Amino acid sequence: MTAPPPPPPPPPLRFERVPLSLEVPARHTVAVLGDENSGVGLLAGYALGLERPPTEGGRALVFDTELWSLAEPERLAFRRRVGYLPAGDGLLQNLSLRDNVALPLRFGSGATPKEIEGRVNVMLAAVRLTAVAARRPAQANEEERRRAALARAIAFDPALLLLEQPFDGLTARAASELLELARGGESAEGARRTILITGQEIPPVILRRVEQVYRLTRTGTLEPETV
Amino acid sequence: MGLVTLLSGILSFLVISQATRELGRFGATDLIGTLIVVAIVRELGPLITALVVAGRSGTAIAAELATNQVLGEVRALEAMGIDPKQYLVLPRFAGSLVSVFTLLVVFDLVAILAGFAAASFNGMSGSRYFDIVLESLRARDVWLTVLKALAFGLIVGVVPSYFGLAVRRAPTEIPIAASRAVVAAIVGIFLCSALFVALG
Repeated sequence: MTAPPPPPPPPPLRFERVPLSLEVPARHTVAVLGDENSGVGLLAGYALGLERPPTEGGRALVFDTELWSLAEPERLAFRRRVGYLPAGDGLLQNLSLRDNVALPLRFGSGATPKEIEGRVNVMLAAVRLTAVAARRPAQANEEERRRAALARAIAFDPALLLLEQPFDGLTARAASELLELARGGESAEGARRTILITGQEIPPVILRRVEQVYRLTRTGTLEPETV
Repeated sequence: MGLVTLLSGILSFLVISQATRELGRFGATDLIGTLIVVAIVRELGPLITALVVAGRSGTAIAAELATNQVLGEVRALEAMGIDPKQYLVLPRFAGSLVSVFTLLVVFDLVAILAGFAAASFNGMSGSRYFDIVLESLRARDVWLTVLKALAFGLIVGVVPSYFGLAVRRAPTEIPIAASRAVVAAIVGIFLCSALFVALG
């Protein structure tokens, strides 16, 4: 008699009654779209424990952990396991693009300054920002800022990435490149990273590369969209 | 530092000039030592220094943190696992403590030197001036002044930071936060000063 197969691992990201319920399977790229009042912009905040889920019993689980229920120091430490690209990039205006990318490593890793510098150089080269790394966000164009914000989001090489309106204002080519960088390469099992994209719309070229697309209505229901 | 030096020099010069003349009529010029130590070094020095730093840097702290908040930088920091209080507030808090303390030292030194100039201008010898000032100065005055500098530095660092981070998402909230922060810091400084007088 053979032993029963082990249960499948929980999905990296799961929303339960926030008010929508959704699972983002490992190595998948899932997009949830909706207009400004649909609440789609709050999903990443729920996942990271930045916002309390609005409904009684609603929760967001990241790697089977509800961040909102953790104490503040544990919550901060746990967030380093998740990459986050906020709407509007969230880069610190008084730091150069290079320092913005280095920031999470300086505060959240035990790496030496030399190791951090090496890692930042690799990240900047990967997102093709080496030539403009000394610029402040206000001196960079939108695509460069978005690339820097993505480099910062993947500084710890997270398995899960949350992208808020990541392609707004970008050309189809830039959007495609950004998504490829976010996915971190492909294997037989899918992308290296699990990605949740939220926003109002995403370019058609991106829609073709996303495994699942949902639309969140104002009533809080989630409807799958045909890609 | 220029403003503190200017205010301290003018204030001390005017007070000691008047005091030397008026007290001289009663033969009580010894009291200018008490005046400069108690009124200027211990009371007005910390108060004016803290008000200057609150007006100049308190608005900047509140406006800067409010801008960080409006641009989503604070949220981004939290999402990266960086405590905004540690990254944004702590350095400003430390800066306020250090600047109020060092500017107070400058204020008091300039006040004593300007007092000397005023006393000399009104016919008092330098050695007599320094004798009566040093006679009036007690260790208690020194540590009370240091304590005040630390308390006022704490207010100047913490109150504007609180108002700056309390802003939500609208840019129109930034100037409101800045002005509220300075008003609250000034009120806090005066209340704290009154508390020191009451307890001291």
